[in-house]
Amino acid sequence: MSHLARLDWLPVLDRKLLRDMWRLRGPSFAIALMIAAGVGMVLMSFGMMRSLEATRDAYYDRYRFADIFVTAKRVPRHIVADLAALPGVRLAEGRITAGALAALPGVAEPINTRMHSLPLSGRPMINDLVLRQGRWPEPGRANEILANEAFVQAAHLGLGDVMSVILNGKREQLQIVGTVLSPEYVYAIPPGQIFPDNGRFAILWADRDMLAAAFDLTDAVNEIMLRVESGTDRADLIRRIDTRLASYGGTGAYRREDQISERFVANELRQLKTMTTVLPPIFLAVSAFLTHVVLSRLIDTEREIIGLLKAFGYRTAAIVFHYLKLALLLSLGGMVLGTLFGTWLGRGLAVMYQQFFVFPFLQFRIDPDLYALALLAALGSVMSGCLFAIRRAAALTPAAAMQPPLVAHYGGRIAAAIGQMRGLDELTRIILRGLVRRPLRTLLTAIGIGAALALYIASASSHDNVERLIQVSFDQAKREDLMISFTEPRGPDALAALGRMPGVLRVEPLRAVGAILRHGAATKREGITASTPGADLSRLVDIAGRVVEPPESGLIVSTALARSLAIAPGDHVEVEVTEGRRPSWSAHVIAVVDSPIGAPAFMSIDELDRRLGEGARLSGAYLAIDDSQRDEILRALRDTPKIGGIAIIEASRRAIRDTIAETMGIMTLFNTGFAALIVFGVVYNNARVSLAERSRDLASLRVLGFRKSEVAYLLVGELALLTLLALPIGIGMGIALSHYIVDTFSGDLFTIPFALTPATVARAILVVFTAAAGTAWLVSRRVGQLDLVAVLKTRD
Amino acid sequence: MTNGTDAILTGEPLYRVEGLTKTYGSGPTAVHALRGVDLEIGSGELIVLLGPSGSGKSTMLNILGGLDAASAGHVWFDDADLTGCDDRALTAYRRQHVGFVFQFYNLVASLTARENVALITDIAADPLAPEAALAMVGLDARLDHFPAQLSGGEQQRVAIARAIAKKPRVLFCDEPTGALDSQTGILVLEALQHVNQTLGTTTLIITHNAVIADIADVVWQFADGQLVDRRRNRVRRTASALRW
Repeated sequence: MSHLARLDWLPVLDRKLLRDMWRLRGPSFAIALMIAAGVGMVLMSFGMMRSLEATRDAYYDRYRFADIFVTAKRVPRHIVADLAALPGVRLAEGRITAGALAALPGVAEPINTRMHSLPLSGRPMINDLVLRQGRWPEPGRANEILANEAFVQAAHLGLGDVMSVILNGKREQLQIVGTVLSPEYVYAIPPGQIFPDNGRFAILWADRDMLAAAFDLTDAVNEIMLRVESGTDRADLIRRIDTRLASYGGTGAYRREDQISERFVANELRQLKTMTTVLPPIFLAVSAFLTHVVLSRLIDTEREIIGLLKAFGYRTAAIVFHYLKLALLLSLGGMVLGTLFGTWLGRGLAVMYQQFFVFPFLQFRIDPDLYALALLAALGSVMSGCLFAIRRAAALTPAAAMQPPLVAHYGGRIAAAIGQMRGLDELTRIILRGLVRRPLRTLLTAIGIGAALALYIASASSHDNVERLIQVSFDQAKREDLMISFTEPRGPDALAALGRMPGVLRVEPLRAVGAILRHGAATKREGITASTPGADLSRLVDIAGRVVEPPESGLIVSTALARSLAIAPGDHVEVEVTEGRRPSWSAHVIAVVDSPIGAPAFMSIDELDRRLGEGARLSGAYLAIDDSQRDEILRALRDTPKIGGIAIIEASRRAIRDTIAETMGIMTLFNTGFAALIVFGVVYNNARVSLAERSRDLASLRVLGFRKSEVAYLLVGELALLTLLALPIGIGMGIALSHYIVDTFSGDLFTIPFALTPATVARAILVVFTAAAGTAWLVSRRVGQLDLVAVLKTRD
Repeated sequence: MTNGTDAILTGEPLYRVEGLTKTYGSGPTAVHALRGVDLEIGSGELIVLLGPSGSGKSTMLNILGGLDAASAGHVWFDDADLTGCDDRALTAYRRQHVGFVFQFYNLVASLTARENVALITDIAADPLAPEAALAMVGLDARLDHFPAQLSGGEQQRVAIARAIAKKPRVLFCDEPTGALDSQTGILVLEALQHVNQTLGTTTLIITHNAVIADIADVVWQFADGQLVDRRRNRVRRTASALRW
């Protein structure tokens, strides 16, 4: 202790404080780690979330992401100016947007593309592009295009490469001259799918005149984007726009929030927020508990000193302040460490997510109020942890404190029952009675270890849930090999033609229309999917994997849609189709189904055809094909006119798994580390306190001839029992936490099933036991350092 | 008065100690706890060690008990040299042959009297039944009491029962009456004397209380790290006859 010897300038009590700190460095290290993790997590999660949101907002703002979108069949250009003149509209811009299939040299699989026209001169006023590589197309060079960077990279293309794109039946050779990012494609989701598939979905920006010629839209556009003044009543504006465009085949204006990419970004950010806000409270609660245990123990051993100080005239306030200072000092290191750790980790994670979201830049910052919040939370945790112990110190009278401590009292029914247990050795009895004597500490320790288990289970079960999602979606719902979408609705002969292609084993109709659904004041734009009873390829399947047949009449809706429209089975909902003759009717809600992916509204094809009044029409087809003829079929389909999109189901399945595996892998890795950290903190602290409380017993046993391993059993056995006790608690908490995460993750885009597997629970137990065993080993080595001679002389 | 070791040795020597030295620290601050002690301990003897604090009697007992290592010299237990033993061998030695009684009893608070004794009989080769050991110290009525429910004297007698239950060859008692009043202390000494006489357990008692020396076969006087006097009592008084 010579390094602490020269402290003459400090008040005596403060010198004691520093020496106590040094003595308690092991336990205080564990507390500091928990506080560091808590503070770090607060800074990291909130800092990262705020930064990502600020980055997104800045990106949208700087590149003038549209506030309102509207598509129509054909809108004369002068109408765009009319829309720009509507009150509240700051800017309006029209463009030509079309789906097309493209081919890459030597690749059979077609590329689904979405084409957007570029202004004749200058850059887009709305939805501007970030040029990442190359240059903008030269005016007048109709064959030059820009492509989204994600596709170019995933398809291993480069500047100068040529894509063969079929525009309305006419093949064009288009050369990529630049790669870009766009605020409207932070996520590029192929039509009819719910996850990015960057290698097979291209967004291309091309010459306006070329697209106008190909799609017969000279002097016209089919998509208009608007930027509006803040404070504008958007619902009202959307009504005006819809009225204005009704005669031009408008399919209904929608807000940025309903735009598919932004929906995904918002969903991802929400999920991220859930995941990251679960952790800090756990760490802060654990650090409060550890502080309580350490300080209680310290005050127990120092009761004579406290009595002495009071007898000498120290005021209770001085003693309270003394231990408060100690608690503060214990947490100080954790706060500093957590501040550094959180800032560093937040920046690292934000960079990672910036790449995941494909934002062109990152605005990372942690505001001072966040630092204040994190440190206050840590302070609160430590203060609440030391409250009870310090109150006990304050309540001690000098006389009581200076009496020697009584022998710890055991007895009662449970202690007697433990005595009755046969086949129990005395060491195990010591462990059991010790745990029973302090039920609260035992329970809290088990809950602490359980929290680690829960954290791991909740994190790793996401993987199980996604596997189930994929399994239900693809093995039971989407069993087709290919999903074909036509450029416009076609008759039954198109289906028959597809069925006659060599290698096509089975073909079923695909029918989907855009619609606006209303119930009371609630309005939702959704697609309605229609199907025939007994369909074998693509079916509506609920989350448990049960097939749901289309109703003879009426509508089946998803849970998410039912929630946002506040409807239940038996209610009626107003349906307004936004294409064709735009029929509307009041539909009977037959059932609400939890379906994992898509199909927010579902009905029979017969009824839809009847309502639309256009005869039997198809939007596309589901195909089962002979795998040995796959490439030939794909080439033939690519060159078939009026096919606008071909989804290869196996590829989307792979894409989903890749996308999710990437984020979840990192999350799970992090949470495994954090779970281990919690186990270490709780187990180490418990073992150290137990060692301190038992050192006399342990040393006595050594003197009496017990081997080190037998004496260590007292510690390790106790920890093993606590860990065992933690299993049911932790598994229960883990299941609850997984459910909570599943609920918050499930949005209107998809519903995540709860599918925790025994293997995941087993892995969680393994992680927790390994961490506990490692920590126990660390502490049990101290049994060898017990002072056997001192125990003969000391009272306790 | 002493006429040399052999003259007072009656039984077979259980321990032989030669040139036993223990030094703590080194250089000018070194503490010489034992300075070359020679002695022998006969089997079945009751020995009382007297001496002021720091005289070396506790160090002696610690080394004989296998708790501490000598700096120089030898301790033979039967024919085994304890001074060369490692921790594992010393643990086995304590486990098989040695019983300890501490000043502050050192009972496990969470075990009853019976269980505290069973703690030791569980790991002994040929022990007494815990109940029999407790009966020897007059505690057969308090088998299922926890330490906190027993008086100091009763706790110390449980500790004696625990120490003798495995039928050790030797019993080391460090100030066994130090924390007790005289009446209770005498009860504890009676128990020790009873065990020594009925089981023939070699017994070493450290004490500050010179009166206790009257129950011993042999009395050793330590001072300044040396055995300065050893005498054999012609008559051993019974513990119940003691007064202090």
